[in-house]
Amino acid sequence: MSSSVYDRVTSILVDNFGVDSAAVSPEATFEDLDLDSLDLVEFALAAEEELGVRIEDEEAEGLETLGAAVKLLEDKGATVGGEG
Amino acid sequence: MLLQGKRLLVTGVLNESSIAFSVARLAQQAGAEIVLTGFGRGLRITERIARKLPDPPDVLELDVTDAGHLERAATDLEARWGGLDGVVHAVAYAPESAIGADFLAAPWDDVATALQVSTYSFASLSAALAPLLKAAGGGSVVGLDFDASRAWPAYDWMGVAKAGLEATCRYVARDLGGQGTRVNLVAAGPLRTVAAKAIEGFSSIDAAWQRQAPLGWDVEDAEPVARVVCALLSEWMPAVTGSVVHADGGAHAMGLPPTTPAGGSPT
Repeated sequence: MSSSVYDRVTSILVDNFGVDSAAVSPEATFEDLDLDSLDLVEFALAAEEELGVRIEDEEAEGLETLGAAVKLLEDKGATVGGEG
Repeated sequence: MLLQGKRLLVTGVLNESSIAFSVARLAQQAGAEIVLTGFGRGLRITERIARKLPDPPDVLELDVTDAGHLERAATDLEARWGGLDGVVHAVAYAPESAIGADFLAAPWDDVATALQVSTYSFASLSAALAPLLKAAGGGSVVGLDFDASRAWPAYDWMGVAKAGLEATCRYVARDLGGQGTRVNLVAAGPLRTVAAKAIEGFSSIDAAWQRQAPLGWDVEDAEPVARVVCALLSEWMPAVTGSVVHADGGAHAMGLPPTTPAGGSPT
């Protein structure tokens, strides 16, 4: 997985949540990345602000891996400005 | 408007599903000026979510277990407004061992944390802001409750904390009555908030609640609860204090589910 959305999500996690970039992979679960329910609330807000896509609470509940989160964002039309 | 010109402090806004977010939104729409509070990592989240309100309010850092924070909040509000017309206490926390786990195995330290944050803070927040409420002519303190008169699946020590909260409300009402401050709780039905979803096994009560409530109950909609909070903050419940108002579809009043499904005749 090497989309611009994936890259942006990775940078949000590394910059805002102190996630080790070496630990980031599409298969990584939020639990692997030491992100708890409060982090996920903040992540959803950050993603909404930076990618212009709103993740509803019910959608966030089903997300386990980073790859699944990126796919959801892409399916919902997330775009990263200035890179495409 | 219901809350025209009211100056309100609203704690507990975490995201748009928060009961306190609905309160903040409705209060602004009803003419109130508000300030939010946030705590720890939640502070950053509250600052983000504040921007989604009709008129983005300031956010104060407030850990209710920190006497210095309480004092600082009171000082800030005094400089800002000189008085305070209302406070919304929407604060609760229990460590994992004390909620959705093994009730009989929870260690005292964890239970103590739950009680300090969820029960004692109602008194300490009220006490810290009492002079400002007095300066506004009395004002109104409203806390969020979950019916503590019986035991629930998974709610565990939070249920004990809420029982204590109900008692604390009565005593704060007793001691602030002389200055004209009204002090009440709103007991909500279950809502799918971040806090509720973090409780392992708690969602099992959702369907039963919908059957039990003669008016029905929508676990996704916090507005019916927020409206009652706003009513208590307003001038329209002037003789009500020390009370728990149930905003739960009526479930608390039924011994068993009504035989007719909520909302009309059987289908």
